[in-house]
Amino acid sequence: MNFIVSSSTLLNHLQAVSRVISSKNTLPILDNFLFQLAEKELTITASDLETTLITKVELESATEAGEVAVDAKRLTTILREFPEQPLTFNIDKDSLSVDIVSENGKFSVVGQNADDFPKLPEIKDNATSVSFTSEILNAGVSKTLFAASDDELRPVMTGIYIELSPDNMTFVASDAHKLVRYKRTDVSSENSASFILPQKPASLLKNILQKDDSAVNLQFDEKNAIIEFNGYKLVCRLVEGNYPNYEAVIPKDNPNKLTIDRLDFYNSLRRVSVFSNQASNLIKLSMTANQLTVSAQDIDFSISAHERVKCQFEGDELEIGFKSLFLIEILANLSTADVVMNLSDPTRAGILVPIEKESENEDVLMLLMPMMING
Amino acid sequence: MKRSIVHFDLDTFFVSVERLLNSSLIGKPIIIGGTSDRGVVSSCSYEARKFGVSSAMPMKMANYLCPEAIVVRGDMDQYTKYSDMVSDVIAESAPLYEKASIDEHYLDITGMDRFFGCYKWSKELREQIISETGLPISFGLSVNKTVSKIATGEAKPNGAIEVDNTHVKPFLHPLSIKKMPGIGDKTYRSLRTMGVDTIGTLSTIPLEVMMRVMGKNGNEIWKKSNGIDLTLVKPYSKRKSMSTERTFDKDVIDMQQLNRLLISMVEKLGYDLRNKQRLTSCVTVKIRYSNFDTHTQQKRISYTSFDHHIIEVVQELFKKVYTRRMRLRLIGVKFSHLIQGTQQLDLFDNTPQMVDLYQACDRMRNRYGYDAVRRSIAM
Repeated sequence: MNFIVSSSTLLNHLQAVSRVISSKNTLPILDNFLFQLAEKELTITASDLETTLITKVELESATEAGEVAVDAKRLTTILREFPEQPLTFNIDKDSLSVDIVSENGKFSVVGQNADDFPKLPEIKDNATSVSFTSEILNAGVSKTLFAASDDELRPVMTGIYIELSPDNMTFVASDAHKLVRYKRTDVSSENSASFILPQKPASLLKNILQKDDSAVNLQFDEKNAIIEFNGYKLVCRLVEGNYPNYEAVIPKDNPNKLTIDRLDFYNSLRRVSVFSNQASNLIKLSMTANQLTVSAQDIDFSISAHERVKCQFEGDELEIGFKSLFLIEILANLSTADVVMNLSDPTRAGILVPIEKESENEDVLMLLMPMMING
Repeated sequence: MKRSIVHFDLDTFFVSVERLLNSSLIGKPIIIGGTSDRGVVSSCSYEARKFGVSSAMPMKMANYLCPEAIVVRGDMDQYTKYSDMVSDVIAESAPLYEKASIDEHYLDITGMDRFFGCYKWSKELREQIISETGLPISFGLSVNKTVSKIATGEAKPNGAIEVDNTHVKPFLHPLSIKKMPGIGDKTYRSLRTMGVDTIGTLSTIPLEVMMRVMGKNGNEIWKKSNGIDLTLVKPYSKRKSMSTERTFDKDVIDMQQLNRLLISMVEKLGYDLRNKQRLTSCVTVKIRYSNFDTHTQQKRISYTSFDHHIIEVVQELFKKVYTRRMRLRLIGVKFSHLIQGTQQLDLFDNTPQMVDLYQACDRMRNRYGYDAVRRSIAM
C-alpha cells in the first residue's frame, strides 16, 4: 500500500487530531495515529479511549487499500521539519515497515498493527440527531467552558451540559460557585434531549471549530456523542449522571440593578484585587445611587485598596463580597460594552447579563455566588 | 548594633486576676486548674509554691502537697480580657511589641535611650500598667529576647532588672541551666549527666560537642548560653491553627457521647472561625486510648468555615482513627492551614435559608454568648 500526499496538508491534519492524544496513555497503541487508506482517501484517527478525533485527507494518488498505526510524535516532529513538498508513503503490509520518501531522502519507521487500535463505539439507533451551524456550537462551548468545574468528586459538573428542546438549545457550565447559561433560539430539535460533554472534547471543539455557517451534525445517545463538521468527526464518551437543576438556583426576584461599563469595572477589579488576600481573593463591592466602591484588604500584610467606579444603581444600598478571580473571569467572558448585574441580597447569587444582546438569537446569563461578609 | 529588648511578664497572672476579682484570696495559697481527678495546675500563687506546688503538676499531687490551698477553676475569658487590657497599655506607648503569650510581651525599644533612657522608660511603663490594670508585672531589659526573659525570671516577683551589654555574661554564667528557655526536662537531664549545671559551664563546651550530643538544638542552646540570640521582636504573628481537646474524667467508649462531643467541638471552633473571618482547609482528629496510645488522622478539604461541612469530615476521620475497641481518654479536633477570608457560597449546597440560619445563629451567639444556640444533636 502506498500513497502520495503534500507534507503541509498532512501536517495540518495531524496537528489538529494529535491534540486528542494524551501524554500518559494506558495503552501504548494510543500513542499512534491510525492510517486507513481507501481509494483516494486517507482517514487519520487519534484517540485516548474517551475521545476520538477523525479527519480525512484527499490524496492525489494511492494504490491498494489497507491500514496501519504510526507513531504520532515521531511523525508530527519530522513533518514539521519538511518544507512543502510531496511525500510518498510506502507501507509493507506484512512487515508493517513505513517508508516516507521525500525529495532527497527516505525515513523509515515500523508501524503497529492497526487491529490493535480501539474500535469506535457504536451509537444506538434511537440516538438524537440535530444539525446547526458551526458558529453556534463554537459560541456555546467557548462562552461556557471556563465555568466548568475541575472537581473530580462531582464528575457531572466537570462537563458542559447541553440541552435540546423544541424551542432552543442551551449550554450550561458551572463549578457550583459560578454558572454560565448560553441559550440559542435558532436551533431546535423535535424532542427534548440532553447530554454532558466532557471538558477535553469541549476544548478540542473550541480550538478546531470555525466561526462560520458551515454545518455541524450532532448525534448522541446515553453514552456517546458523534459530532461531524468540516471533514472532522469527533466521537466522545459522555459524562454519565444527572446534571443538577440549575434553573432552580437562578434567583428570580432581584430588586437591585447595577449598570456599569464592563471594561471600567474589569480594570478596576484587576487593580484592586492585587491588594486582596491571596488565598481568599475576597473583594467587596458597595453600591450607592451612582457609585460603586470596589475594595479589598489583606490584614496579614496590612495592605488595602479601594477604588470608585461610575455606575447606575437602582435599589437599596448594598454591600456584597465576591472572589475577585471569578468576577474578573466572568467579565472577561462577556463581550458587550455595558453589563447589568442583578442582585437581591449579600448571600444570594449575582446575575450578570450583557445590556443588549449581541444577536437576537442568543441569551447569555452568568451567575456568581458571593462570599459571606459579616455585618 | 546594640539592641534594647524588654520582656514584660505578668506575675502569677491567673492568680492576680482572681485576686483582683475577689480580694479575700490575697495572701492565701491559691491553685488554679482543672478540679477533676485528671486536672493539672495551670497557675499557683507564691504562697502555694512554698509547699512545692508548681504549674503543670497533677491536681491530686498539688492537693496532697498543700491541702489548705484554695483551688479555683479559672475563667479563661476573664484572663483574656485582662491580658488584652495590658496589651492595650503597651500598644499605646511601645514602638514595636510582640505578644508572646497571654501574660508575656516583648518590646523592642532600641534607640529610646537617646531620649528617655530605656530603663527609666520601661519602669514608667511598668508603673502605668500596674496603676491602670492593678496587676503586678515584672520586666527584664537587655540586649536580646533570651537574656531579657531570663532577667525577668530573676526580677520576679514584682521587680525589674537591667542587664546591659557588658554584664550579659557575668549575669548568665552563675545561673542554673534550668532557667534557660529551650531547656526542658529531657535536655536538662542529659546535660546534668554530662556534669553541666550552670549556664557558664554550658557556654564553655565546644560547639561541635554540643552539636554531636543534641543535634541542631545544641547549636541554639550553645548560642543562647553565650548571650547570642538574634531573633527579632515580631509585631504580629499569624494564627496557624486552632484546636480543642477534652480529657475525660473517666475513659469513655460510648459512641453517642463521643459523637456529640465531636460535633460540639466543631460547632465551637466553627463559630470562632467565622468570627475571626478565617477559613480552614485541613481538619485533624486526635484520640488517646486509655493506655496513652495517641493517634491522629487528618484530611485536606476545600476552604470552609461551615460546621456541617466540617462535621462530616470529622466524623469520617474519627471512624478511620478509632480502630480498637478500647476506651478513650482524650479526643480533640484541630483546624489548620487557616487563611483570612470568608466562605465562598456554593450554588447547589448552600440554600439561602441555610446561610441565613448560620448568620442568625452567629448573631445570637455574639449577643448572648456562645451557649445561646446549639445543635440539639450536640447537647
